[in-house]
Amino acid sequence: MNTSERMITMEVLRYRPEQDETPFFQQFLVPFTDDMSVLQGLQYIKDELEGSLSFRWSCRMAICGSCGMMINGVPKLACHTFLRDTYPNTLRVEALAHFPIERDLVIVMDDFMAKLESIRPYIIADTPRALSEGEYLQTPAQLDLYEQFSSCINCLLCYAACPQYGLNSKFIGPGAMALVHRYNLDSRDSGSAQRMPLVHAEEGVFNCTAVGYCSQVCPKKVDPANAVNINKTESAKDYFLRFVTPKGAGK
Amino acid sequence: MDVFKADVAIIGAGGAGLRAAIAVTESDPTLTVALISKVYPMRSHTVAAEGGAAGVVQSHDSLEHHFHDTVAGGDWLCEQDVVDYFVAHCTEELVQMEHWGCPWSRKPDGHINVRAFGGMKIERTWFAADKSGFHMLHTLFQTSLKYPSIKRFDEHFCVDLVVEDGRVQGAVTIGIASGEFTLIEAKSVIVATGGAARVFRENTNGGIVTGDGMALAYRHGVPLRDMEFVQYHPTCMPGTGLLFTEACRGEGGFLLNKDGYRYLQDYGLGPALPTPVNKAMELGPRDRLSQAFWYEQQKGRTIEGPQGSVVHLDLRHLGEKKLRERLPLIYELAEEFLGVDPALTPIPVRPAAHYTMGGILVDGKCAAPLPGLYAAGECSSVGIHGANRLGSNSLVELCVFGKVAGEEAAKFSRTVAPGNSSTLQQQAELAQQRATNVVRKGKGTERISSLRREMAESMERGCGIYRMGDEMQRTCDKLTELRQRFMNVNVEDKSRVFNTEWLLAIELGYQLDVAQAMAVSALHRRESRGAHQRLDGYTERDDVNFLKHSLVTYAGENTPNISYGAVKITHSQPAVRAYGAAGEKADAAEAAGKIA
Amino acid sequence: MSARRPYVRPMTGWWRKNPFFIEYMVHEGTAFFVAAYALILLASVVVLGQGEAAWNRWLEFLMSPLCIIAHVVILLAFLYHSWTWFNIMPRTLPPILINGTRVKAATITYGGLAAAVIASLIVFAIVARLAP
Repeated sequence: MNTSERMITMEVLRYRPEQDETPFFQQFLVPFTDDMSVLQGLQYIKDELEGSLSFRWSCRMAICGSCGMMINGVPKLACHTFLRDTYPNTLRVEALAHFPIERDLVIVMDDFMAKLESIRPYIIADTPRALSEGEYLQTPAQLDLYEQFSSCINCLLCYAACPQYGLNSKFIGPGAMALVHRYNLDSRDSGSAQRMPLVHAEEGVFNCTAVGYCSQVCPKKVDPANAVNINKTESAKDYFLRFVTPKGAGK
Repeated sequence: MDVFKADVAIIGAGGAGLRAAIAVTESDPTLTVALISKVYPMRSHTVAAEGGAAGVVQSHDSLEHHFHDTVAGGDWLCEQDVVDYFVAHCTEELVQMEHWGCPWSRKPDGHINVRAFGGMKIERTWFAADKSGFHMLHTLFQTSLKYPSIKRFDEHFCVDLVVEDGRVQGAVTIGIASGEFTLIEAKSVIVATGGAARVFRENTNGGIVTGDGMALAYRHGVPLRDMEFVQYHPTCMPGTGLLFTEACRGEGGFLLNKDGYRYLQDYGLGPALPTPVNKAMELGPRDRLSQAFWYEQQKGRTIEGPQGSVVHLDLRHLGEKKLRERLPLIYELAEEFLGVDPALTPIPVRPAAHYTMGGILVDGKCAAPLPGLYAAGECSSVGIHGANRLGSNSLVELCVFGKVAGEEAAKFSRTVAPGNSSTLQQQAELAQQRATNVVRKGKGTERISSLRREMAESMERGCGIYRMGDEMQRTCDKLTELRQRFMNVNVEDKSRVFNTEWLLAIELGYQLDVAQAMAVSALHRRESRGAHQRLDGYTERDDVNFLKHSLVTYAGENTPNISYGAVKITHSQPAVRAYGAAGEKADAAEAAGKIA
Repeated sequence: MSARRPYVRPMTGWWRKNPFFIEYMVHEGTAFFVAAYALILLASVVVLGQGEAAWNRWLEFLMSPLCIIAHVVILLAFLYHSWTWFNIMPRTLPPILINGTRVKAATITYGGLAAAVIASLIVFAIVARLAP
């Protein structure tokens, strides 16, 4: 690994709502070593060059989900992307696509939070289990069914990768659908009937045109496209089964 | 100013804050909870915990074993009655997490699986691969969405507590997006803001871990207890300090020096057997392992890397399949951040500041001496970690004491009448003025980043793994100087919307206060115990003079005051902390003594 | 009054901004060629119903160089379409377990492609046998 210091140009999208009509790019010359992430580059800018640059970050290890940004046009976690991979070219950083920009690299994520709240992302048990009964039994195979979908860190890269969400933000989108699927698949849960209306709805899975970019950019291999597309089948099944199920046979 | 009236306000929405919020609403759904967090709850630093959470489940394990491991691990500076309560409630809370959907790793028969952890006699660490904290946090957050009485104030930064009439009656926050202030009136307040290890240069903590709640309580006269005890985690990434979980060693990883030698056997932790033995070698407690690193470095037996000396964490013999299954996050961190495939190459590691054992003084019910104020999690000192925390005790602490804090704060809120809104608002206006002053006052000359760097470097020099009186004194002096210079800090950014420079300045103020509390507490503890190890004539534990908690009290611009409080000892008398073969011998002797 | 003024970026030309989206538009575009070939087949059936003379004229038209070039283009588009179709297929299926382990995405894609090739070969064989 090269440990000597070199200089890279970082071009950062700025937007200060109290001053700027529209966003603009600002360039910074940043010294870097091979182990430095884009996040560390931004921290250098904030500490040494431009204190007013705003961005979200915390854990530095790709698990808190705060630092999603467009890096050279691709949705990525800044802590998990390295300056060395762009050098000697100019590295371009912008706020996550498809979301309103609050300021600089900070997006407004109220929409996702509302969606997360709407999908009932918690275990809904038919009969609540007492603590004295101990844990539910769940085999490794049952766990494996949903585990990947439970790994979503809510970083929103998948939303920034989804043109359908960009065109119509009412679409429930990949991340929230992955969580719907996660709970529906959990052997401890019996709440899928309560969640399926969201899947069927006009804002539901059929907005997806299987671009598949969401799964490509997911830093945690959640494969949200898989969750969305399996639920297209589920939704279609539900729809057609209505015609062959006698009235009142459901719940 | 906007005003929100709550019954219970909770500052911090990590594991402890969320567990507390659920406990309040489950104990009384008519109570309104204001859950205040400077980040969206799922960003809280609980998310980064990897290894797991302790709870006795195996038939050959017992609460007594968990108690003893914890108390001995804490070098007898634990509140033993509180530890008793703690170990008795761990498993129940972890089952509760399971019922709420936490994807704990399982055995083939569907029961919970447990793994070995440092300093634990018997395997009792529940885990969700190596993303235990992540899964616990998301489970708690998503479960909290079930309860309509929990009103979230996401990305609201707390600038002060409102204390009126001798009790806490609320908090003042900045809505980060708008830059506008809100007064949250509450009959009781729970602080759950996490630790403060960001005051050290090389640390495992997220950027948000700046000791806010500790400083808030401290400035209102609540003592901080045992602040000198800061845990260095032995296996972290050089430079960034990112964590390689103890579970690496629980799964059988080795620590090697530059000769490929398992050096821990030279530090009373041996013998070096090929498979992991609980409480021996790599499964010794964190303080001992970090100290052994320091000695290896002195002896020139570490490896020189670009980011300082390192030793090797060798996982090769575990094989790629097991590593991918049990330690997927570690695999990814090593590959992507270091370019190392841990199945083929050992990972370079060195110790980094990780955890603050001390914190806001609270009793076993999580109540601080200031009426109405409660604290839970890393920001608190409820008394279970003593001088050194055992890995996997803190995640479960969030649940056990988050719940206690929630229930107690709920109870308290029903016993008091709402405060006088107009006086509370006057107080809030003053807090707003103070916070705004950081930006509005004339142009300062001190850079935030310089002050922060000087603080972190000085803390590392004076309050690192090994400490010396003169170095600690220099750190104390430095912090006094930095607090003075902080008065003149420069905040260039005068805007309101998402002004992170402003928040960084306020956070730096919190950090300087907390760092000073740590350094002054350390200077005054003239012995070596747990994570506080001195080389200047106080190299041994001194139970005669220092089997007591340090209490540091805020004194404004002056150096804080130090006093001491008794340690509650119920049935485990201080003894030699022995690990490895020596530990087994001591256990056997004790068992024989009991029979005789 | 709040100083917040979130800026919403326009979506115009979104598909040109990322190579992944350009590829997506291209592979979605190949669907037009699939539709075109379906129309050719449909036209063939209609012409067949119009008697032998019409059919011979149609065959002559199909054998014109322009038409052959069009067919080559359609064939290439078809191949690309199949490739992208099978490529996305693993993302649309629930996990397939064989002996308790998940079938890899690549296996599903190549399995699908292999099935398509085999089906095509069978059709070729039948046509070859029936051909005069």
